[in-house]
Amino acid sequence: MRDPRIEKLAELIAGYSLDLQEGQVYRIDGEDVSIPLAVALYAAAIRRGAHPYTKITPSGLEEIALEEASDEQLAYIPEVEQIATEQLDAWTSLWGTVNTRSLTRVDSERRRLQLSTHYRMVNRRWERISSGDLAWCGTLYPTQAHAQDAEMSLSEYEDFVHGACHTREGDDPIAHWRAMSETLGARARELEGVRELRITGPGTDLRVVVEGRRWLPSDGEHNMPDGEVFTSPVENGTSGEIFFAFPSVFQGQEVENVRLRFEDGAVVHAEATLGQEYLRSLLDTDSGAKVLGEVAFGLNYEIDRFTRDILFDEKIGGTMHVALGGGFDEAGTENKSDLHWDLICDLREEGEVYADGELVWKAGSFISEPEPAVERV
Amino acid sequence: MHKRLAEVLVGYSTEVRQGDTVRIESYDTSALPVMRETFGAALRAGGHPTANLVLEETEGILYKEGRDHQLEWISPDQQWNIGHGDVWIIFDAVTNTKRLSNIDPERISRRLTARRPLQSLYLERSARGEFRWLICGSACEASAQDAGMSLRQYEQVLSRAAFLDQDDPVASWKQFGERLERVGDFLDGVRELRIVSEDTDLKLGVEGRTWIRSKGLRNFPDGEVFTGPQETSVEGTIRFSFPAMMRGRQADDVRLRFEGGEVVEATAKRGQDFLREMVGMDDGARRVGEFAFGLNESISEYTGNLLLDEKIGGTVHLALGRSVPGTGGTNQSGLHWDMVCDLRDGGEVYADGELVYRDGAFLNGVN
Repeated sequence: MRDPRIEKLAELIAGYSLDLQEGQVYRIDGEDVSIPLAVALYAAAIRRGAHPYTKITPSGLEEIALEEASDEQLAYIPEVEQIATEQLDAWTSLWGTVNTRSLTRVDSERRRLQLSTHYRMVNRRWERISSGDLAWCGTLYPTQAHAQDAEMSLSEYEDFVHGACHTREGDDPIAHWRAMSETLGARARELEGVRELRITGPGTDLRVVVEGRRWLPSDGEHNMPDGEVFTSPVENGTSGEIFFAFPSVFQGQEVENVRLRFEDGAVVHAEATLGQEYLRSLLDTDSGAKVLGEVAFGLNYEIDRFTRDILFDEKIGGTMHVALGGGFDEAGTENKSDLHWDLICDLREEGEVYADGELVWKAGSFISEPEPAVERV
Repeated sequence: MHKRLAEVLVGYSTEVRQGDTVRIESYDTSALPVMRETFGAALRAGGHPTANLVLEETEGILYKEGRDHQLEWISPDQQWNIGHGDVWIIFDAVTNTKRLSNIDPERISRRLTARRPLQSLYLERSARGEFRWLICGSACEASAQDAGMSLRQYEQVLSRAAFLDQDDPVASWKQFGERLERVGDFLDGVRELRIVSEDTDLKLGVEGRTWIRSKGLRNFPDGEVFTGPQETSVEGTIRFSFPAMMRGRQADDVRLRFEGGEVVEATAKRGQDFLREMVGMDDGARRVGEFAFGLNESISEYTGNLLLDEKIGGTVHLALGRSVPGTGGTNQSGLHWDMVCDLRDGGEVYADGELVYRDGAFLNGVN
């Protein structure tokens, strides 16, 4: 049976996130489990006069490649991928999968080799996104595997996903995201005046210098759902401690109760109750992996629980997150790394945030509404 | 079984070599397990495989809602694969064989016409040996339903037809290939063929044309010997025993009358409009681009899947439209539509006036 919410989500992505135009070349990527959303996106794109095509990959190929491929094969980038990366006008990644842990036991060295190739393409993709040549949006088709990680039934999880995207029956998603965009934009402008943030909470007292950096609203253009404001901190300006109460899943491997201590911008001490070795290996990816590439406020209050999927978790209303590794050019970063690992800090109960000494956030929300840029009529 | 098939396709049919790009495709999720096995086998052979499920539903959306410029558009993926790819393996599992039944034939014809240059390119690269493509039969509910059997039974039909039930499938294919060579060697010396059966009496000139022995490299299962007849030589009438299937559409009980190589009369009991639209697509669509003998005795039943039906031992088929490079055929068209005529019950073939084939088999001296 067709789920009308999926068509709504597709219309939202084609019409709002990507703003697809007549004649644009548009690729939809995903695994076979996401086919219903891929088809809905294809139809939405056809209606807009674009040239859509799909790249639907059988689930399980990455594992086969990790087992069977030579290093040279593992690092190979198909020419069609290079062409797509250079030439597409619009692109959607569907992240739904059948098993979120299928790569948990693979050889991490081999996986790193496979990913480093993949990251080269992703980095180039981001260059084109940043320069405005490519519209890109990543989203998730709700599957049993993701529902299982979120500890819900599939139908509960579908309700959760469509709630977060505002694509429930009766919702007007485009109106919602336009309004959200305005609010987040105003918040970002307000944060541009801040020199240093101090974040306090359980196990956490962290200072992050953000002076001169640009704050950006995540308003549904590149992710759906969305809802955060973020920047890339000044590279040597992070100091203190931070504790992440939520488990952190990176490429199918979980790390729990991560504590990090920063001095002069870099991690000097890292521990976890589970996955300590994996945590250290990620920090050793390269020299940029120990430095923050992102600090952000999660502001989607429809997302009210941890689901083990960063697409949702980093936007949980009332949390903050930081990412170890590569930062964002458009924010003014200088940190380069193959890693970009988001870690979420729950500030909903006891957290406080000070901006240049002034309390601006308490118990999961900003104390004041952002000033609207223009008087609303 | 999937692994065994994958090894045959990669090792024998397409001979994947170090550094080859290998594109693996299908249209239905039932093919996912064999796609995965083929992906693995291609890696072990040193290739660079990618796998992609082509969504039938998007094709329907395109035909129903797409504007002309969208219908005529070709994706960069397809363009690259056909222009530069080394190996292309397609598993013909589908979700619904009749999905395009209600599409305006004019729309289908427009899309096929737009894809003509791409079709020519892939056939030319294939004839030059630069592009090894393969269509492989793949059991799916939709095809089993068309064949009037269960999925399990259909799997067995396919497995038998592909010699996968034999101890060493590759050895069996090589041995069968030798038989195809003997038939081909005989046909190489023939100037004119005459096909006689119920409501059928058709002459084709084949002098100077090349008979291709099709032994599991481009189709799997396989087993035919085909050529492109002389473009103006076809005369007479032919009635096709099996429904003619094309892109999810079909025409039943098709009868064609040829004069000077061109169809001058085309009738069908069902699907007449579709038949006329296809035959009227372009000039080449009225001419015969291919004529072939089906020689695989391990396929005996009609299944409604052309990949199998055209190989049935004891049948012949001809295709309206584009000829295949390498045969000597020169016909150009956006169409290539195979139709099968069963000769097992009283059919005869004369080569330069001499009876050489009766009741679905070549007579002594050829086989």
